[in-house]
Amino acid sequence: MGRYILKRLAQMIPIVIGVSIIVFLLLSLSPGDPAKMILGLNAKEQELQMMREQLGLNDPIPVQYFNYMKKVVVGDFGTSYSTKQSVIEMIGVRLPPTLILAFGSLFTILIVAIPLGIALAVKQNSPFDNIMRVVSLFFAAMPGFWSGILMIILFSVHLGWLPANGFDTPSAMIMPIICSSIAGWAVNSRITRASMLDVIRQDYIRTARAKGLKESIVIRKHALKNALLPTITSVGMAVGGCFGGSVIMEMLFGINGMGKMMIDALRQKDIPTIMAGVIITSVIIAVANLLTDLAYSFVDPRIRSMYARRKQRKEVAGHGAN
Amino acid sequence: MAQIDLTLAPAGKKKSKKRSLWADAWLRLRKNKSAVAGMIMLATILIVIYSSPLYLDYDNDVIKPDLTQTLQFPAEGKLLGTDELGRDVLARILWGGRISIGIGVLAMMLSSIIGCTLGAISGYYGGKTDGIIMRSLDVFMAIPSLLLMITLVSIMKPTITNLIIALAIGSVPSVSRMVRAQVLYIKGQEFVEAIRAQGASDFRIIVMHILPNAISPLISQFVMEIAGLILAISGLSFIGLGVQPPDPEWGAMLSSGREHIRDVWHVTAFPGIALVLTVVALTLVGDGLRDALDPRMKR
Amino acid sequence: MQKKLLEIKDLTIKFHTDDGVVEAVNKVSLTVHEGETLGIVGETGAGKTTTALGIMGLVDCPPGRIEGGKIMLNDQDILQLDEDEFRKLRGKEISMIFQDPMTALNPVFTVVDQIAEVIANHQQLGEKEAEQKAIEMLELVRIPAERAYEYPHQFSGGMKQRVVIAIALACNPRLLIADEPTTALDVTIQAQVLELMKDLKTRSKTSMMLITHDLGVVSEICDQVAIMYAGEIVESGSLEDIFENPLHPYTNGLFGSIPDIDKEVEFLSPIEGLVPDPSDLPKGCKFHPRCKYAQHLCSVEEPAFQEYSPGHYAKCFVYEGKLPAKEVKKYE
Repeated sequence: MGRYILKRLAQMIPIVIGVSIIVFLLLSLSPGDPAKMILGLNAKEQELQMMREQLGLNDPIPVQYFNYMKKVVVGDFGTSYSTKQSVIEMIGVRLPPTLILAFGSLFTILIVAIPLGIALAVKQNSPFDNIMRVVSLFFAAMPGFWSGILMIILFSVHLGWLPANGFDTPSAMIMPIICSSIAGWAVNSRITRASMLDVIRQDYIRTARAKGLKESIVIRKHALKNALLPTITSVGMAVGGCFGGSVIMEMLFGINGMGKMMIDALRQKDIPTIMAGVIITSVIIAVANLLTDLAYSFVDPRIRSMYARRKQRKEVAGHGAN
Repeated sequence: MAQIDLTLAPAGKKKSKKRSLWADAWLRLRKNKSAVAGMIMLATILIVIYSSPLYLDYDNDVIKPDLTQTLQFPAEGKLLGTDELGRDVLARILWGGRISIGIGVLAMMLSSIIGCTLGAISGYYGGKTDGIIMRSLDVFMAIPSLLLMITLVSIMKPTITNLIIALAIGSVPSVSRMVRAQVLYIKGQEFVEAIRAQGASDFRIIVMHILPNAISPLISQFVMEIAGLILAISGLSFIGLGVQPPDPEWGAMLSSGREHIRDVWHVTAFPGIALVLTVVALTLVGDGLRDALDPRMKR
Repeated sequence: MQKKLLEIKDLTIKFHTDDGVVEAVNKVSLTVHEGETLGIVGETGAGKTTTALGIMGLVDCPPGRIEGGKIMLNDQDILQLDEDEFRKLRGKEISMIFQDPMTALNPVFTVVDQIAEVIANHQQLGEKEAEQKAIEMLELVRIPAERAYEYPHQFSGGMKQRVVIAIALACNPRLLIADEPTTALDVTIQAQVLELMKDLKTRSKTSMMLITHDLGVVSEICDQVAIMYAGEIVESGSLEDIFENPLHPYTNGLFGSIPDIDKEVEFLSPIEGLVPDPSDLPKGCKFHPRCKYAQHLCSVEEPAFQEYSPGHYAKCFVYEGKLPAKEVKKYE
């Protein structure tokens, strides 16, 4: 198991390098002169030339990339072109709100969608189930920025209960987190419901009933553990969605997070900031995916022993290091 | 045992039930109430939106500001009210739908062409080819697709063509993966072996035999992906990176209406409703298609 | 005569589906005496499994519903019990071995857990003791104790079926229903599992209801046999009755369909036609469309279930004397 985790962490490296190459290439090839961004439109050609030299912009792109990555490896993401701050310090400030937003909504998705999905499966075709089917259809179709606007109109403008801006107090966090998870509640409760219904039809549930177990135990113990597998996959994939969606949420609610930082940086072609934002986001998502897979193997012994067997095979083949 | 089979064969009376896959699917689709509701919704939306040039004039009805009529509530003549520049919200929603849905469909077509090619090659040839294609796609999958789209659009300048390209690139990785999984499944079936034994070329096998079989379960995914892309366009427009003013687009309309939520609600409510109804219709149709087309879902 | 353990009277189970009402089990009457093994034989779709699930109280509802009849277990009609009382019988008084061992075990729990669960459920035992008993059960079905903490996917089909048997027998049930316990297994494993079941049954004096379509298996372990066709019992009697003197044309057809190594025949004589669609059963005798001896009467009226010799019943007009006295040809 430990070996498997190490292997997965090692596999992340080429992917993150790939991400950095693509984004670096795109940024370098796109029009716009960072030197002009830094020095302003009135800068003299000589100053611009000096700044380009200083930033290494005159080197061939592969050299620029290599120099950049050399610093990244030791944790130096450079200085922002636009704010002149150290990028790592900026991220230290900007990352926490985004993490709270993304993982907060992930958490609410879990605590809302799973119990709801189970209840709907158990009460299949009841009025409650039918109503929720329609409701979840609409919830899943609602973009977070629209539900956000509606909530702001209701709770901030008319009722005055919650602030429409910022993310520093718990009450300010409520609306952004709910808005970015509404679609997730709908989608994941539907997935849980469907997989629960699928599992309930399985032979081993009949075996459990034939043991004379209480129906509540059959559902909670035998059905749920199996039914959670598709939900885990889907929630794992939602991590990426939450990070992507947080860009829009941060713009709507005026949250000073990574998303807003990225948008500002993209507008000003602030290459170091963009690079750092993309690299860190992709690392977080890769780690989240790894955690998803681990959760999966925690629930399903078949997956667990697949990892173990893979390891054995490697050892037999005699090249354990990979 | 062979004897039994021989005697049983002519007795099979269910011959009349032989229908083609598509006719069968259509029958099942028609029986599915929510799919029918979705199809009616979608057809209505498409007809109303795409007939709008017949009664709307872009220059006069859609983008011409009328500063004497700003932020009027819904009333006769302006059924859904006017926006901050005095333009008719209904006219802009109808026109904007053409843009949102049009971009969504075109981007999906582009991404399914690329995705089917990559997925089919990857799944069919396997080995190193598969490794290279899938690992490269992993790189794109490592960035959240919305963030990828945002990055691409802001680097490329937000024209409609660039938007379509960015959206397509954002959805190619997941489409390719779905196609690859289907191709792998179908490639493993014996009829492919039989065709190969007849000496058909790889290209012929992929295009004539594998893809048609692979695609039917994917069609529903494609329909739902269009819904996702329409949401993505609105999201991009909402943060100012999508469709540019004065062109109407649902997300862009929401974004400009947002500044006036303290005074009026209709400017933000109606474009959102249009968006939600469209996505709901597409989801219902996609769900129905999945149940109707995927033979493995049959119970 | 031994004591009656299970007596089913006129059990009727129907499924209400979108495509119409399926009459899966139609007025089935059966008796199982203490210590005895009853074989229920019939083609796929004859309603054997549904009957068994009816006894277990596990018919999927909806769409299934028990529409009539009685199931007497020790002179108590268990259909009158409420769900909670019925639940206490399952796994303790009556237990069931299912057809497909590959899917009958929960993939996410260890086998010992799955056996201990039924023990803990019915006996006032702590976790440790239940586990200890579960391991004993495993050894009884000849699975080494050191494999107790493995998961089902690490077991072969035959071993899984033995675990299922261990679960079924863990609480010493009075009635064991085995639904085609060996069909999903390799032929060599089939014999082992059958042998094991026979052995355990004798040891624990459990009565058994064995559902199968394999007449060879029936001759191995059954005392009584009931032949089922299209949701009805068409013939029942002792093993000798059925094997030495089959009455019903369908029973004869079944015997005619199996190859016999001792006899030189050019062709097997299978039963013509197909099992009828259970949502659209023929009128009169359900078997008449496939019966060689069918007359007009058979398509109009339903024959009665008549006693031909003591304990040997058949449902055919030939034995009611209503058809021209044409003898049903024996299968040889």
